[in-house]
Amino acid sequence: MNFDLVSPTTTEDLLRAIDEHRGRRFRFGAGYTDLLLDLEEQQDNELTVINLARLNDPSFTSIVHDGGEMRIGALVTASRIIADRKLQSRYPVLCQAAGQHGSRQIRHTATVGGNLCTASPAGDMACALVALRARCDILPARGDARSLAVSDFFLGVRETDLKEDEVLRRVIIPTDDGEVKTHSDFIKIGKRRSMECAVVSIAYHIESDGDDTMTRAGIAIGSVAPTIKYARSACEYLVGKRLSSLGPSERDEFAAKVVEYASPISDIRASAWYREDVLFNMSKSILENH
Amino acid sequence: MKKSLKVIGKPTPKLDGHLRVSGKAVYGHDISLPNMLYGAILRAQYPCAKIKAIDVSKAAKLPGVVCVITADDVDVAHMSHKRDHPVLKKGEVNCIRDEIAAVAASTKEIARKALRLIEVEYEVREGIFDPADALQEDAPGINKYARGDEGKNIAQTFHYEHGDIEEQKAKSTCIVKRRYVLPRVTHCCLETSVVTADYSQSDGRLTLYSSTQVPFLYQRDMARVLKMDPSNIRVVQPVIGGGFGSKLDMYPFEPICALLSMTCGQPVQIAFSREEEFVASPTRQAMVIDLTTGADAEGRFTFREVEITKDNGAYTSWGATTSFVMMQTFSSLYHAPACVFDARAVYTNNPYAGSFRGYGNPQSTFALERNIDLMAEELAMDRAAIRLVNANYKGEKTGQGLEYATCGHKDALDTVIAKSDYTRKKREYKDAPSARYKRAMGFASMLHVAGGAKIYRSDGCGTTVKLDNFGHLIIITGSSEIGQGSETVLAMMACEELGIDMSKIKVINTDTDIKPWDVGVHASRTSFVAGNSLLGAIGRLKDKISPWAARYLKTDIEDLDYDNGEIGCKTSGRSVKIDKVVRELHFQDPNVLCMESYYYEPASDFQDAGYKGNVSGAYAFASQAIEVEVDTYTGQVKVLDVYVGQDVGRVLNPLGLMGQIEGGVVMGMGYALTEELVVAKGQVVNPTFHNYKIPSACDIPEIHFYPIETHDQAGPYGAKGVGEAPLIPTPAAIANAVSNALGVEINALPMTPENVLKAIKDRP
Ligand SMILES: Cc1cc2nc3c(=O)[nH]c(=O)nc-3n(C[C@H](O)[C@H](O)[C@H](O)COP(=O)(O)OP(=O)(O)OC[C@H]3O[C@@H](n4cnc5c(N)ncnc54)[C@H](O)[C@@H]3O)c2cc1C
Repeated sequence: MNFDLVSPTTTEDLLRAIDEHRGRRFRFGAGYTDLLLDLEEQQDNELTVINLARLNDPSFTSIVHDGGEMRIGALVTASRIIADRKLQSRYPVLCQAAGQHGSRQIRHTATVGGNLCTASPAGDMACALVALRARCDILPARGDARSLAVSDFFLGVRETDLKEDEVLRRVIIPTDDGEVKTHSDFIKIGKRRSMECAVVSIAYHIESDGDDTMTRAGIAIGSVAPTIKYARSACEYLVGKRLSSLGPSERDEFAAKVVEYASPISDIRASAWYREDVLFNMSKSILENH
Repeated sequence: MKKSLKVIGKPTPKLDGHLRVSGKAVYGHDISLPNMLYGAILRAQYPCAKIKAIDVSKAAKLPGVVCVITADDVDVAHMSHKRDHPVLKKGEVNCIRDEIAAVAASTKEIARKALRLIEVEYEVREGIFDPADALQEDAPGINKYARGDEGKNIAQTFHYEHGDIEEQKAKSTCIVKRRYVLPRVTHCCLETSVVTADYSQSDGRLTLYSSTQVPFLYQRDMARVLKMDPSNIRVVQPVIGGGFGSKLDMYPFEPICALLSMTCGQPVQIAFSREEEFVASPTRQAMVIDLTTGADAEGRFTFREVEITKDNGAYTSWGATTSFVMMQTFSSLYHAPACVFDARAVYTNNPYAGSFRGYGNPQSTFALERNIDLMAEELAMDRAAIRLVNANYKGEKTGQGLEYATCGHKDALDTVIAKSDYTRKKREYKDAPSARYKRAMGFASMLHVAGGAKIYRSDGCGTTVKLDNFGHLIIITGSSEIGQGSETVLAMMACEELGIDMSKIKVINTDTDIKPWDVGVHASRTSFVAGNSLLGAIGRLKDKISPWAARYLKTDIEDLDYDNGEIGCKTSGRSVKIDKVVRELHFQDPNVLCMESYYYEPASDFQDAGYKGNVSGAYAFASQAIEVEVDTYTGQVKVLDVYVGQDVGRVLNPLGLMGQIEGGVVMGMGYALTEELVVAKGQVVNPTFHNYKIPSACDIPEIHFYPIETHDQAGPYGAKGVGEAPLIPTPAAIANAVSNALGVEINALPMTPENVLKAIKDRP
């Protein structure tokens, strides 16, 4: 493992560092839980790591609830997500996903931004953010910030829409402050109960009004396609229906809609048929336990 | 043996616990010698290929590289008990682990870089990866050093039988025949394989800092391979970061490290990366067991017919000899009137196995206990009841000649049946409405040697005890500590006998130049064999001390009591400090040295050519009842509770014992549910903890342990070996539970969610 390290503390320094390294090999480092594995075989000195961990800019480091939106800095760790009261009550699915991330030690250092930028189809927090239809706030070295839906941010396995000179600043979840009943969870299926990489995951966030009618539904599925998928038609299927009135055939219909978004592969961790079957069963289960 | 004891049986923390938790313990990876170099090994790129050319010139020229060796540079003998394993491979490779060249360099990074500069030209061949293919008539011979006297591509065979199979078949109301398929798993020691070799060119002596479990056999094997005088090899054992049987064989990296040091004249260390550990360290044998068993109308077992095919891999290790232990399960676990057993280890181009805690017994127990459940079903008998009918008993001499002087099998079964609340739960499961989650309980028992296993010329252990002028005791034992807590148990015994505080007792056990012979730490033997050996030495020491003390205290030897650092007189209450006695003995005329040695050999027999005989000084029995919940949506198995009843003879250190029980059950759970080293066409597919799943803390159920104390006369204070037993029944009990819960047959491991869901889907 061999590389140069720069540690900007202000956004200005960060953008300058990016600019200076234009055309050369560099990587960002946040919590390093993915990056270190990538760098293990790194031999030559031709790589610079731009260390984000020392950055002092609250837009990167804090969780802000501000009227119409919830802003989560890219450097916020999984542990901090879990501990955030506002997230717990308003968007529990994100806390539930963060709570199943690796182990306590990993959660303490792994960041939301890193989870998104790694663009793994098995990213847990990323899956919850897709379900919540969050947006990415992206900063280029020069020019204006841009914003993009998380689901459009992922282009393929380990591939994002970030340009070479761009850094992810934060993610933004649109909110409204009305009283809602939330039915949500992050379902992560693997061989064991912790330190696991999902073979199938489902993040769901369903809001209902006082009448038990579903008003908003977000469902995202992980590890069953090259990128995390938002199961739009399954979400639309739910809105306007009453959660408690759905019978077995409707649950199956719903589950079939979720599965339409999957194109699983077989690999060392699971076979495609298993992923698909379990995705169907677990989608069904969303409507069973409420 | 019912006399009340002061220390034995009391929870006692490990002597070296403080070193381990404070990071002060010196493991093999921590060894650093002046001028030490780092070695690295180039392994085969293909599991089966001809080597047309090797060019090491670029690697040799890399600054920092001190030497590069290949088979052409060394004069060594082959390894393994079958002598079929060249240290460095020449002309061809037959396994993905095959060592082709080795480098010693000033840093690890340079050594690794040098490996990338070695050019090897291969001619790839079609390998053989399935034992069934290797047994085909037209299959090429895989190991050209194989003697082949048992058949082409057969490394080793075992045949055993007792009783009249045909007669017993005639008595059988039910006969069950099944095939069981067991995967490769590996030990996952926290410390990866490591050795440091320090050869002195001036006097021809070699010191090895090795994590071997069998230092004296290692010394012998190393000497044979290197063509040295064994006494010129000193084996030093640093703190060992996990053994579990993996360090019973010597592996090529060890003589290679020695050869590098001999070539360079400098110390060399070879330490595996985690990936290398997964690829190149031993595994449990993958095997297929075909088992036919019978029972009469009352559920009494009649016969067992067993055929086993083991994947030997390209070379033979101790793994091939696990049949010794496996045949005991079939011949002697539960009363068995007749048994015929055939096993063969078949060469393939796969990675070779080694020994692993349980030594074949988890596999044989899995097969037998699954068949027992199936027979119960066929006879419409309760699964607990059929086991109780057939349980082993005290005084039983089995068909194989094992003699059960004590036997806690029935007690163990009764205990787990009662403690698990089986009878009530069984009704409850039956009435439960069919739902997503299914629950059930599974049972399994096990039998294992618990007083050594007489396989080598001696199954003994030597001990020297030295009492110093200040009242401290040094125990020099031939036995080895691999984290199981043997040092602590030995010190407890000495404390019990001599009344010397634990803090004044040291155990020396890491240097073949100092310690006396012991066959090694395996077969759950150390507390039993080394314990008895220590008690023998202490007895001799007391024979020296007691007469003086009795004279001094004006009383009889029988009236003495060793306690609290003193020797007291039970009747008068007078006492003398033990260190004073030692000083008097040391400095009196004639001087008497307070040091004694003892060699203990268990009173067991060598087995005859038909593998019959009382091979161990004692036998352990255990039963487990395991309750699981299966999620039929995902195939995930949640182990809810594990009830362990185990005949331990007598509890020596409850803390150490619980550690063995919990560790064993968890290891068994990994084998049962999640672990598999996947090998495809000879290549290891999942050489990382990311894809090789050992259970995590969140997966561990409540483990309820009930020691069964049978007070075996042969053991120290009545104790038996305990180390392997807790792992052995676990996979079988879980498989029985899952099969019962789902109404399917689980006859292969691991029961991953995918495999379980598949079984549900395939359910007729
Ligand atoms: C033992 C272990 C267990 C794990 N378990 C899980 C798990 O359960 N679930 C899961 O989803 N993941 C898991 N991971 C993966 C990893 O922890 C997550 O992806 C984590 O969120 C990455 O965050 P990080 O801060 O460590 O990222 P880093 O490793 O620092 O970076 C990851 C990638 O993102 C880039 N990057 C980071 N921040 C930015 C930014 N602001 N802008 C642009 N690019 C950026 C980096 O250059 C790098 O390419 C695990 C990893 C390990 C080692």
